[in-house]
Amino acid sequence: MNMTGIIFSNIYDAYMGDLTKYRTLASVPFGGRYRLIDFVLSNMSNSGFNNVGIITKYNYQSLIDHLGSCEEWDMSRKNSKVFILPPFGTGQTNVYQGKLEALYGAIAFLKRTKEKYILMSDCNVICNIDYELVLKEHLRSGAQITVVANREEPDNDDEVRDFVISVDDDNMVTDIAIKHSFTKENLCGMGMFLIEKNLLLHVVEEAVSHGRYHFERDFVQREFLEGSLSVNVYEFKGSVLRNRDVPSYFMNNCRMLQEDVRRDIFDPQNPIYTKVRDEVPTYYDHDCVVKDSLIADGCRIEGTVTDSIIFRNVVVEKGAVVDHCVVMQGTVIHAGANIKYTILDKDAQITEGRTLAGSERAPVIIQKGDTI
Amino acid sequence: MLERRKECIAMLLAGGQGSRLKVLTSDIAKPAVPFGGKYRIIDFPLSNCVNSGIDTVGILTQYQPLVLNAYVGNGQPWGLNRNYGGARILPPYAQSDRSEWYKGTANAIYQNMHFIDMYNPEYVLILSGDHIYKMDYSKMLEYHKEKNADCTIAAIDVPMEETHRFGIINTNPDHSIYEFEEKPEHAKSTNANMGIYIFNWKILKKYLEMDEQDPNSSNDFGKNILPKLLEDKQRMFAYPFSGYWKDVGTLDSLWEANMDLINPSVPIELKDDDFKIYTRNYAKPPSFVSGTAKIENSIVAEGCVIRGTVENSVIFTGCVVEEGAVIKDSVIMPNILVKQGAQLNYTIIGENAVIGKEAVIGRSPKDYAINAWGIAVVGTGRKIEDGEVVAPKQVL
Repeated sequence: MNMTGIIFSNIYDAYMGDLTKYRTLASVPFGGRYRLIDFVLSNMSNSGFNNVGIITKYNYQSLIDHLGSCEEWDMSRKNSKVFILPPFGTGQTNVYQGKLEALYGAIAFLKRTKEKYILMSDCNVICNIDYELVLKEHLRSGAQITVVANREEPDNDDEVRDFVISVDDDNMVTDIAIKHSFTKENLCGMGMFLIEKNLLLHVVEEAVSHGRYHFERDFVQREFLEGSLSVNVYEFKGSVLRNRDVPSYFMNNCRMLQEDVRRDIFDPQNPIYTKVRDEVPTYYDHDCVVKDSLIADGCRIEGTVTDSIIFRNVVVEKGAVVDHCVVMQGTVIHAGANIKYTILDKDAQITEGRTLAGSERAPVIIQKGDTI
Repeated sequence: MLERRKECIAMLLAGGQGSRLKVLTSDIAKPAVPFGGKYRIIDFPLSNCVNSGIDTVGILTQYQPLVLNAYVGNGQPWGLNRNYGGARILPPYAQSDRSEWYKGTANAIYQNMHFIDMYNPEYVLILSGDHIYKMDYSKMLEYHKEKNADCTIAAIDVPMEETHRFGIINTNPDHSIYEFEEKPEHAKSTNANMGIYIFNWKILKKYLEMDEQDPNSSNDFGKNILPKLLEDKQRMFAYPFSGYWKDVGTLDSLWEANMDLINPSVPIELKDDDFKIYTRNYAKPPSFVSGTAKIENSIVAEGCVIRGTVENSVIFTGCVVEEGAVIKDSVIMPNILVKQGAQLNYTIIGENAVIGKEAVIGRSPKDYAINAWGIAVVGTGRKIEDGEVVAPKQVL
């Protein structure tokens, strides 16, 4: 394996509202038993990475707890490791503002790595991807940087993507736009970049000394438009779930209820790993009703659950109705409560007979540990 | 002289075939048989050890050890991957002057005396991989020390009418043992031997060596070692245990023990954060329950897709139940595909089996005379054709 992985755990924290109040974006729960970082880290493990650095900024205690020694990802071996890289703050410097600065804080780690290439990824985008294929494509293209991207159709005209690429008929990049509208003709960057290590080190040092910190805007876009950087696109064709904000996070959880999406993301050949909690299997009581839902281990379902994602160790008592909800670990929905379009963070309690209703575009969020 | 020592280590007898489990153990040893949705039988003694503070477990394997060896691995799922101690698989091995299989339970320990001596323990806990129960062995060890015993045997109170199925231990009021009765017709007491022993290692070692010299011995703990200790008036005590304890050595008892998990009147609670049962995990997604599914009074592990009807059943990890399939009062082991319209009643289906469309397996006992009926069993990896019928009591 000739790639080192770099994962940015905090970059999109600000868009996720209360879900990132006490945790990094990387440790936001997703899909019934996972956290967002599980997907990118499993992809790296399944692609054969031996060396992964996770760059953190703040609130990373839950992330460290979740990852432990990384043995669940098979990354706790003599020759295969995960390094958590907290901000390298000295007396004069603040925590970083962008990826280039963040990478500067991790420069000692980067210099030490033996691998020739660096695969950088955010953790807000969920997919099941083989990075070996990205490297192959990168080498074939001879470009200086490869961007992983996919094609999407916007739901409405004012929808934007962070990194919109225009290509010509031969798939050569003609333009790069940051936070821009897009069509099916464009490719949308998935926050994953492949670049040679020595080039990245040079870029990071240059950028920081010139006060530039935004990797996509201040480096990729700027140098591409100046004609000094060759950019290649790797088009990914599997399912891609982008968690851009709370509504999209909610929608993406619901998309896990579609069979084709699950088949893509949970490829049996390339499993998604997560922290093992040794919960018992879930018990379904007499008279419970469960329809079109994902249910993790350790739950007790006595009431009605429809179109919902139920994480580990959740209790839905008799007569309770849970419809279009994301219910995180350890939450209890007491008898007769009725909740719709709600995200219940960990260990919340919905007391007897309560009614809560959000909407598809504006789901209600109940914060971690709250009692309603 | 070894400087470092362990106070107590466990030796787990896991070499038995479990021939009464028939097709379920044709390729795997009994302790590796799946149980309770996501576990295997051996998870119970291993988790008990870890929850009791015992971090060194020798696992004696002999019959079809491949699955069991792979399953235990380095002991990591149970926290038994230790620098000093941990889980160790101990198969029979060739020695300079002879090579032999384990002749009996006592001989299996005898052949591994060097392993035990490596840890130079004060006490040795002998366990078997045949039972489902939760027990804190550290309390039994405390009891053993309190009684200043040479050997302590865990005993459970069984109904008088079942005493003929067990080894019965007769004790004095102070719980000291004065007699063993093997499957007696008319038992004097109802204390059944649970097959869980704590020995002072020095004493056990002496008796294992003596037993090995006896050509007439069948090298068995129950038949030879324990009676000999009693004959020599060693201090032997029964440790009274109360709680759920079930032998899963037959198809009927294995089915019943699984059903106990969905019977609220049976006192076995696996969900207990202070005494978890650990198991090897396989990175499966949560289970998907579709709009056509109906699940009632059942447990379903992760990685399943349920589109049919499931009632009073235990569905293990990674099963697929297609639309229109109906599963009632059954034990469906890991990674089984039940196709459309199949009807399963009172069955055990072995790992990785495929049940064809409209197949009919087993029947409810209510239409049958008591002797004509039994659990229908489909063996590990077996493929049942579309429309095939498997009668009750049939074992395929």
